[in-house]
Amino acid sequence: MSIETPVDQPESPTNRPDSTHRMKEWFSRDYVRKIIAIFIVLTIIIIPIAWLVIHFLELSGGPASSIMEELETTIFVFTLVSAPLMAITAAVLVYSLFGWGSIKSEEPPMQENPAIRTNAVAVIGWTVATSLLAAFLVIWGLVELATITADSYGSTPSSQQPNATKPIDVNVTGQQWVWTFEYPDQQKIQSNVLVVPINTPIYFNVTSKDVIHSFWVVEMGVKIDANPGAVTNTGFTANKLGTFNIRCAELCGLHHAYMETNVQVVTQDQFDSWVREQGGKRTV
Amino acid sequence: MSQTAVIHEQQAVPQPKQHGKPGGFLAQANIFTGLIGGVVTAGVTYFIGDKLVPWGTQNADFSQVGLNALVFCTFVAWVIGFMVGIGAFAGPIRWALGHDLTHDDAEYMAGKGQGRMKYWKYTTDHKVVGIQYLVMALVLFGFGGFFAMLIRTELGVTWREVFDPNFYNSLIGTHGIVMIIAMIIVVAGPLGNFIMPLMIGARDMAFPRLNALSFWLLFAAVPPLVLNLVLGGMRDGWTAYQPLGTQAPIGMIGYQVCIITFAFSTGIAGVNLITTIVTMRARGMTWARTPIFIIGTLAAAIMGLIWFPMFQYAQLLAASDKVIGTSFYIPQNGGSVWLYENLFWLLGHPEVYVIVVPATAGILELMVVFLRKPLFSYKMAVAGFAGVVGISAVVWVHHMYMTGFAPQAGYPFMLSTELISIPFGFLVLVMLGTMWRGKAWNRLPMMIVYAVIFDKIIGGITGVYLSDVPVDQYMHGSMFVVAHFHYMLMGAGLFGAMAVIVYWFPKMTGRMFDERIGKIGFWTAFLAFQVTFLSMFVAGLQGMPRRVLQFDNAFEISNWISTIGAYFIGIGMLIFLYAVITSWRNGKVAPSNPWGSKTLEWQTQTPVPLENFPVLPVVTSDPYGYGVPDPYLKVEEQLDKDDNETVGAR
Repeated sequence: MSIETPVDQPESPTNRPDSTHRMKEWFSRDYVRKIIAIFIVLTIIIIPIAWLVIHFLELSGGPASSIMEELETTIFVFTLVSAPLMAITAAVLVYSLFGWGSIKSEEPPMQENPAIRTNAVAVIGWTVATSLLAAFLVIWGLVELATITADSYGSTPSSQQPNATKPIDVNVTGQQWVWTFEYPDQQKIQSNVLVVPINTPIYFNVTSKDVIHSFWVVEMGVKIDANPGAVTNTGFTANKLGTFNIRCAELCGLHHAYMETNVQVVTQDQFDSWVREQGGKRTV
Repeated sequence: MSQTAVIHEQQAVPQPKQHGKPGGFLAQANIFTGLIGGVVTAGVTYFIGDKLVPWGTQNADFSQVGLNALVFCTFVAWVIGFMVGIGAFAGPIRWALGHDLTHDDAEYMAGKGQGRMKYWKYTTDHKVVGIQYLVMALVLFGFGGFFAMLIRTELGVTWREVFDPNFYNSLIGTHGIVMIIAMIIVVAGPLGNFIMPLMIGARDMAFPRLNALSFWLLFAAVPPLVLNLVLGGMRDGWTAYQPLGTQAPIGMIGYQVCIITFAFSTGIAGVNLITTIVTMRARGMTWARTPIFIIGTLAAAIMGLIWFPMFQYAQLLAASDKVIGTSFYIPQNGGSVWLYENLFWLLGHPEVYVIVVPATAGILELMVVFLRKPLFSYKMAVAGFAGVVGISAVVWVHHMYMTGFAPQAGYPFMLSTELISIPFGFLVLVMLGTMWRGKAWNRLPMMIVYAVIFDKIIGGITGVYLSDVPVDQYMHGSMFVVAHFHYMLMGAGLFGAMAVIVYWFPKMTGRMFDERIGKIGFWTAFLAFQVTFLSMFVAGLQGMPRRVLQFDNAFEISNWISTIGAYFIGIGMLIFLYAVITSWRNGKVAPSNPWGSKTLEWQTQTPVPLENFPVLPVVTSDPYGYGVPDPYLKVEEQLDKDDNETVGAR
């Protein structure tokens, strides 16, 4: 069904077709159909980008903890939710560039376009839709934050954790430009490499001796600032064996770039023998 | 057509007596006397200070404080000496002595009969100030862009350190803050000063002398900042987190004096813009008939006025830590590092909107003209800006998710950060609705608008990731953040500024912009921009921290790509700059209204006469009365049809 003639004469409101009819008419318009088609295509193109993003995230060997896995899920869900919004913007953009045509002239064009001042349906629909999307993001984010906080023991010290596996405390100290890890429950051994057993919760007390550093265990998806004069907490449970990266994520002076070390995720037996080995050396 | 304004009978006011030639001292003062005044005052201060507090003879610990104090006083003396030398205080002093400025003096100060010399002086005319701001912004972009090229060179040469760490860290800090300052002034400065009073049909800004003051304070603020590179640098990034700042060389003082002065400049400019917009709109220009660019400028000015003092306090306290040995931010002595971060980001985030909002409002203004349609849902655009201003006050902690200063703060601030996408969504709908069914007039400004919307899509979706605390736990402090905010600040902000500058170029310079060369420059920069920063997203996702000098092999390829891209951005920008300069010097002479626009600034002649309008205009409708009745639209749905017909706007 298409529109026949432009309306020249004022019509009385009673002549107004009902809303179903008007909606049908709107969806039958050529440009509307094309924009919807572009919109669907773009949405389908944008969503796989999430996998690309996750692929890059995993290039260095992650995910190595449940936190990182949840983080990747969040990225996927957020892409999924924002894709329609991005796609509709891009679709109208593309159609405006190539569909409705353009005028090439030096002088201001004489031809003018429809004077659409506003449209109640569009305004209300858009507001409701974007608010719902934002609400979804907020709720998802809040729930996910609570989950991750629980995962990283961010709010409860390890001594109060009712967990079956006894967590390991590690005191992390940043100073220009090295990380020091102290194991208070393992004869206070110290190391410049973080060694942790797999599937055991690790709880960090992070502080700094001089300036602000940021303790970033990359593949675990964990980061917290190391502040002078304060102790901050985070934690993770590694679920993958291997060697992963620890970097400083806050500019901390001249050699900030070199302030990096490793986290070695080992089995419980290997960890125990490492502790013994370190404990022997500690007498020095 | 314009209508004659009702001329009220003038009350006889006693006028001050004219002493000598118009201008008095101001006839002698210009930028050179300012420079001399500044350098001499600074030199004298340094000399006296050195005699009073001979820092070289003190012990090692105190000497640094003594030197810091000396350098601080020297920089402050430079600012004051420069302002005295250029004549900033001539008005108040003459008023205090009972020799107030006469009408002839005021006209002289506005640049009457001074030819090109007026651009080098303490000139009050808003058009002169606008041009001064534009040139200043271009110079700052030149500095910042050059620093960016050096940074990318370092990051592209992955096998050795090109610069020593101190210089490199100073480079990233200086690049950051120079670009931030340039971005803050590039729309609200030139266009807020030159175009805005014309657009609302005023003869000048509300406070012309404050207008000149705000520009020259900015001018005086820049040398201490740029000089830091030869004074040992400011190696702490543009955020200058404490207590790292207390370790920095004396270059840091330059940064602090710059910010303290710049905040005065911004505050004065903000007051001026707000007062002008609120009180000086032409007769008949109700709020509903005010162009959206004016609303955007107002929003930015309000945010700047409220939040800049936070930045100023942050730096005042930091300087006092360094200069007189207080310990606001030194934890060993009872200070808090989180105090600085909070004060800093209280400005730090609204400042992003101070940059993006006027650029966005300018783009809306352009879309109307080049699409020959009314702005879609003006009210929604206003609501969008209002929402951004409101919510911008309560989002700053999202820069501090990972500081650990209050883990529970993540919940409310994640909420507010994600809510601010709703008013921004309003603006997106306004853009889409304005594009809807419009045949675009295919000129360079409109093409840039499309490019900006594209960048906003990418900047928007990556911003959604970053707003989320768990995801930010990975992304924070990584190159991903750097790429994201370059999409917003450069891709949307700077390119948006380029669009509006090209659009208003004919009015400001009296010449047409050379679109052929400009197009080559812009598209080179735009494509190279995508290459540079898309690749930087990849580096960030792989786990590359920002502000590093060297990095793991894993990041090499994406950094090489970014560096090559960055060089091409540089080339593109130089071509664009060439187009600006050549068109300004000998472009085609512009007619008064080359775009056929309906807003007031195009209705006066080009070049704009001293007092803008021969007779002040009276506005009888909003400026968006483009377009023909919609054949699809039922007659009863055409809201306020009579209002749509443009009568009084010209």
